[in-house]
Amino acid sequence: MRLLQFVIWVIISYLFFKLPGILMGKPIPSSLILMYMFFAVVMILLVMTSTEKSTRELLAPIKSMLEDPSKKLIRNVVFVIVPIVAGVITYEQIKPTYEAPVELRSTHPAPPSTIKIYGKTYDLLALENPYRKYEKEDPEKFKELVREGGEVYFKHCFYCHGDKLDGKGHYGQGFNPLPLPFQGKDTIAQLQESYVFWRIATGGPGLPKESTPWLSAMPIWEDFITEEEIWKVILFIYDYTGNVPRSWE
Amino acid sequence: MGNFIKVVVFSLVVIWLYVVFSANYIPPITPAPPPKEEVLDLSEMTMDDFLALGEKIYDGKGTCTLCHNPVMKRAPLLERTAVVAKERLKDPRYRGKAKTVKEYLYESLVDPSAYVAKGYGVTGTNDTVSPMPDVSKGAIGLNEVELWAVVAYMQKLAGVDITVEIPRGEAVAATEEKKEEKEEPARTPQAVLEKYGCSACHKMTEEGMDPGLGPDLSKIGAKRDKEYLRRAIVDPNAEITEGFSPMMPDTYKDQMTAGELELLVEYMAGQK
Amino acid sequence: MQPILRSKRALLLLALTGLVVLFMLMVPAGDGYVLHRTDGLVYAGGGGGGGSEAVSSEGAEAGKVEYPPAPKLKESDYPTISGINSRVFVWLVAQLHLWFAAFVLAVPIFVFIIEAIGMATKDERYDKMAYEFIKVSITAYSITAIFGGLLAISLMVFYPDFMKYLTLIFGDSFIWYALIFFAESACLYIYYYGWNAMKHGFRKWMHLTIGFLLNGVGTTLMLFANAWVTFMMSPEGVDASGVFGGNMWEAIHNHLWNPINLHRFIANVAYGGSVVGAYAAYKFLSATTEEEKAHYDWMGYTANFIAIAALLPLPFAGYWLTAEIYAYSQQMGITLMGGVFAWLFIVQAVLIGALFLSANYYLWCGMERSEGAYRYTPYIKYIGFVIVVCFLVWFTPHTMILTPSELKALGGQYHPILGPLGIMPAKNTAVNIMIIFTFLSFLLYRRANKIPTVSWASFGNGVQIGIFTAAMVNIMILGVYYGYFTNTVYKVASSVPQVVATLMVIVAGVVIDVFMYRGAKEVGPLKWGKMPERSQYALFLLAVSFTWLMGLMGFIRSAIRQHWHVYTVMRDNSVDAFTPTIGYAAKVVSVGTIIFMAIVIFIFWLSHLSGKKQTEYQR
Repeated sequence: MRLLQFVIWVIISYLFFKLPGILMGKPIPSSLILMYMFFAVVMILLVMTSTEKSTRELLAPIKSMLEDPSKKLIRNVVFVIVPIVAGVITYEQIKPTYEAPVELRSTHPAPPSTIKIYGKTYDLLALENPYRKYEKEDPEKFKELVREGGEVYFKHCFYCHGDKLDGKGHYGQGFNPLPLPFQGKDTIAQLQESYVFWRIATGGPGLPKESTPWLSAMPIWEDFITEEEIWKVILFIYDYTGNVPRSWE
Repeated sequence: MGNFIKVVVFSLVVIWLYVVFSANYIPPITPAPPPKEEVLDLSEMTMDDFLALGEKIYDGKGTCTLCHNPVMKRAPLLERTAVVAKERLKDPRYRGKAKTVKEYLYESLVDPSAYVAKGYGVTGTNDTVSPMPDVSKGAIGLNEVELWAVVAYMQKLAGVDITVEIPRGEAVAATEEKKEEKEEPARTPQAVLEKYGCSACHKMTEEGMDPGLGPDLSKIGAKRDKEYLRRAIVDPNAEITEGFSPMMPDTYKDQMTAGELELLVEYMAGQK
Repeated sequence: MQPILRSKRALLLLALTGLVVLFMLMVPAGDGYVLHRTDGLVYAGGGGGGGSEAVSSEGAEAGKVEYPPAPKLKESDYPTISGINSRVFVWLVAQLHLWFAAFVLAVPIFVFIIEAIGMATKDERYDKMAYEFIKVSITAYSITAIFGGLLAISLMVFYPDFMKYLTLIFGDSFIWYALIFFAESACLYIYYYGWNAMKHGFRKWMHLTIGFLLNGVGTTLMLFANAWVTFMMSPEGVDASGVFGGNMWEAIHNHLWNPINLHRFIANVAYGGSVVGAYAAYKFLSATTEEEKAHYDWMGYTANFIAIAALLPLPFAGYWLTAEIYAYSQQMGITLMGGVFAWLFIVQAVLIGALFLSANYYLWCGMERSEGAYRYTPYIKYIGFVIVVCFLVWFTPHTMILTPSELKALGGQYHPILGPLGIMPAKNTAVNIMIIFTFLSFLLYRRANKIPTVSWASFGNGVQIGIFTAAMVNIMILGVYYGYFTNTVYKVASSVPQVVATLMVIVAGVVIDVFMYRGAKEVGPLKWGKMPERSQYALFLLAVSFTWLMGLMGFIRSAIRQHWHVYTVMRDNSVDAFTPTIGYAAKVVSVGTIIFMAIVIFIFWLSHLSGKKQTEYQR
C-alpha cells in the first residue's frame, strides 16, 4: 500500500509541475522539471522512510517480490521489464535528433564598468538618466519627455518589442533569441537605467561573450538615434509598464 | 569493512551527483577572457591601441575638449576636420607647408595659426592668429608619438581612412631624446605667460583680447592679494569666480617651477 | 632600509622556513614538533623568528620607508614546472589547508562549550564526548600545518613576485602570526594532553581556562589569515598603483575583513560539527556493543545539532558579506551575482538544500528514539512538503535552461510563472520559511518524549503557534508585497525584517519551550542507539555536501577578483588568469573533496588504531 502511495505521490507531483505549463501554453522547461522531480522524489522517500514502520511497509512489497517463491512470475516479469525500460530511456537520451543543443544564454550579463559610445566614455556605475530628476521636479515636463520617448519607441522599437511592450512585435518572432518583454517584474524592473542605456546603445553586437553563441538581433542604436532619444525611450518603457528602475541605495 | 565500502561508495556517489549537476546539467558557459592591458610598448602596439592612446590624450592630457566642445563654442568642433582638411589645403588663406591630410592635422597641432577657421581667430587679427597654443610645448607638452596618436584619433573621429602610421624606430628614439632635455625655466613674466598659455583663456593685458573662458586678469592686482593669486594657480578649483565654470587645469602646481610661480604672482599683483 | 631589500630578506627567511617545514615532515611526527601554518606564508621557526624581528626593527629605525608600487608582471615572470598546473596546484593545496583549518579551529570552540556544560551539569558523559572530539582534531592539527607549509612553499615557487609584494605590506604580521601559532600549539597540546591530569576541582577550572585561551588564540590566527585574503579582494592602505602607505592596520582592517571574519567563524563551527558527525556516524555503523552504539548515536546527534545551529544563521552572514561586496565595488558585486557566477549560486542553492534535507531527515529519524514521538510523526509529511516547496523555489533559476523548441514556445529566456520565483525576494522568503520549518522539526524532536506539566501549557502552545503564524505571514507579505509591488529600494531592504522575523521565531520558540518543559514528564526513557542505519547516511551527506560546498564557495570568493592578484591594484598576468567554467571548477573541487575525505578517513583510522592497542593491553 505504501508503495502504491509512493507511486501516486510521484505522479501527483509530476502533474503538479507539468500541468500549469501545458494549460498556459507556456511549458515549464524540461530541464527544470527533471530537477524538481528529483528533489520531489527524494523528499517523498525521506518522509516515507522517516519511521521504521513506514519504511518496512514501503519496502515490504519489493522485498516479497524479490524473495517470495510464490511470486516467481511477477519477479521474472519485473526482471525483464526493468532492463527494457532502462534501455529505452538510454536510447531516447542518446539518439541523434534534429534539435539544436540546449543553450544557456546569459540574458543579463554583467556590464562593463565603462563604455564608449557617441565618442564619449561613460562610467556605467555612476551613469544616471539625466531626465529622471524631472519626475519629481517638473511632472509636466516629465510627462512631455515620456511622450517623446513613446514616439521614439513606436518609430524604432515596437516592430520587435511589440505595441504592448510584451516582446511580441511583428518581426520579433523571427529572431532567436526573441526580443525581451518589458512587462513584468523580472526584466527591466531588475535593472538600473544605466544598464538599459548600455543595452540599447550597443545592441546585440555589444554583448559580452557569455551572451553568445551568437549575438542577438538588436541593432546598435547608437548609430541611429541620439543619446537624448535613448534616455527618453527608457523613461517611456519604465513609465508604460509601471516599473521603477533599480537603484542601489 | 562492509560499512566502510558502503560509506565510501555513498560519498563518491554524492560527489559524482554534484559534478554531474554542475558540469553536465548546466550547459557550459565560457567566461570572457581577461581584458587586454594597455600596451605601453610601441613595438607591440596595434592600430586600435594607438587610437585608444590618441583618444586618451584628446580627452585628458591634451586638454583639447576644454575648448573644442559644443558647449563653450570657443573653438571649432573637430569631428569633421579630417574631412575638410583637403579643401583647407587649397584655401588661399592657408599659409602652411603641409601637403597631405595627416601633415595638415599635425601642423594644426604645432602651428595653429597656419590656418584659422573663420570666426575663431584672435579678435582684431582678421582670423590670421589662432588663440590655440602649440600643444607640443608648454603646459600640454605632447611628444612626437602622442601628437601622431591625436592625429590618428582625429581621422577616426571624422570617419576617414587612417593614414597615420604608428611611429616606430627613429621617431620613438627622437621622442625619448626629447624627454631627456630639460626645459629652461622662464625668466620673465611674459615668458611665463607664453609658456603656460594663460591668455588662451584669460585676458591678461589691457590691450590683449578677452577669450572669455576665464576671468579678466588685466587688473587683477587691484582686487586680489598675492596669497589669493598663488592659490588660484596651484589650486584653481578652491574658489571659482562667479559666472565661470571650474575648468582651469590643476596641473600647474606640478609644471611650474617655484621661481616661475613667484614671477607670475608678482606680475599679476602689479596689474592694477 | 630599502623595502626591496627588506622583502628579499623576508623571503629568504620564508624559504628557509619552508625547508625547515619540509625537513620536519620527514622526521617521524612526534608530539613535540612544531609546524607553522599560514594562509599564505610560513614564517621562521626558532631562529628565523628572531631574525625577522631584527629586520622589522631596522626598518623602523630608517624612519619613513618609501614603498614601491605593485609590480606589473608579464607572463614570463611566472615560473613554470612542466607537468604541474600552478593554479590548480595552489588551488587544491589552499583548499585542503582551509578545510583542515576550519575543522581544527571549530572543534575547540564546541569542545570548550561541551566541557563547560559537562562541568555545570556534572555529567561525565559530556566530558568524555568533548575529549573524543578533541582527539579527532589533534591529528588534523598537524595535517593543517603540513598543508599550510606546502601552500606557502607552492605560492613562493609559483607566484614569487606576488608574494614579494604581499610580504612588503604584511611582513610584520607574519612574525605575529608565527608567535601566535606557537601559542596555539602550546595551548592545544596542554589542553589535550592535560585533559585527564586536570580533571577535577580547581585544576578543571584551569583546564577550561586553557580551552578558552586556545579558542582566543585560534580565532586571532584566523583573523590574520583573513586579513591577507581580504586585502587581495578589497585592498586598503595602498594607493591606486599599489604603493603601500605604511600603515599595516589599514591593510588588515580592509572593507571585507569583518564580514569574512564573521562568515568564516560561523561556517567553521557548522563545518566542524558536520565532520565530527560523520566520524560519529561511522563509529555508530561499526559499533558492536549497545553501549558503544548509544554513545556514538548521542555524539552524532550532538554534532548534527551543532552543525545545524550554526547553519541557520549562516545565510544571514552571507547576505551581509554580499552586501559589503556590493558596497565595496559594484563591479565586483555584479560579477558575483550576474553572468557566469549566477549559475554557481544555483549550484550553491542545491547544495544548501541538500544540507537542509539531510538535517531534517536526521531529526525525523531521531524521533524513533522515544516512545512519545508517535504523536508527532503525522506532522512530518507537512513539514516535508513545505520544505521541499521552499527548496524548489529557492533553486529555480531566473534564466532558464531551454531547448530551442521550449524557447520558441516561451518567447524568451524567462517564464511567466517561474520568472518571478527566480529573483531575490522569492528566494529570501523561501529560505526564511525553510529555516523556520527546520527549526520546527527540531522543536518537535525536543518535545517528542516529553509532556509539559506546567499549568499554562496549552496557552504556551497557542502563543507559539501564534508566533509561527505571525512570522510566516509577515515574511510572506514582506516578500510578496515589497518584493514585487514596490521598487528595488524596498526589495533589498525588506530582507532585513524577514531575517528579524525568523530570528524572533527561533529565540521566542526556544525561550517558551524551555520554560514550558521545565520539569516535564517523560513518556519513556530515551533510547540512544535505537536509530536506523539509513539515518547515519544523512550525517555523511551533511559532511560531504558541506565539504564540497565550502570548496565551491572558496572558489567563488577567490574567483570574483577575476584577473587580479590584488583587486584593481596588482594584475594577474599568468596564463591561468582566466575564469574557469563551472564544470571545471566543480571537478577541481571534487578532486579536493576526495583527497580531503581520504585523509580524514586516515585520521579516523589512526584514532581507531590507538584505541585498539589500549584494549589489547587491558586484556
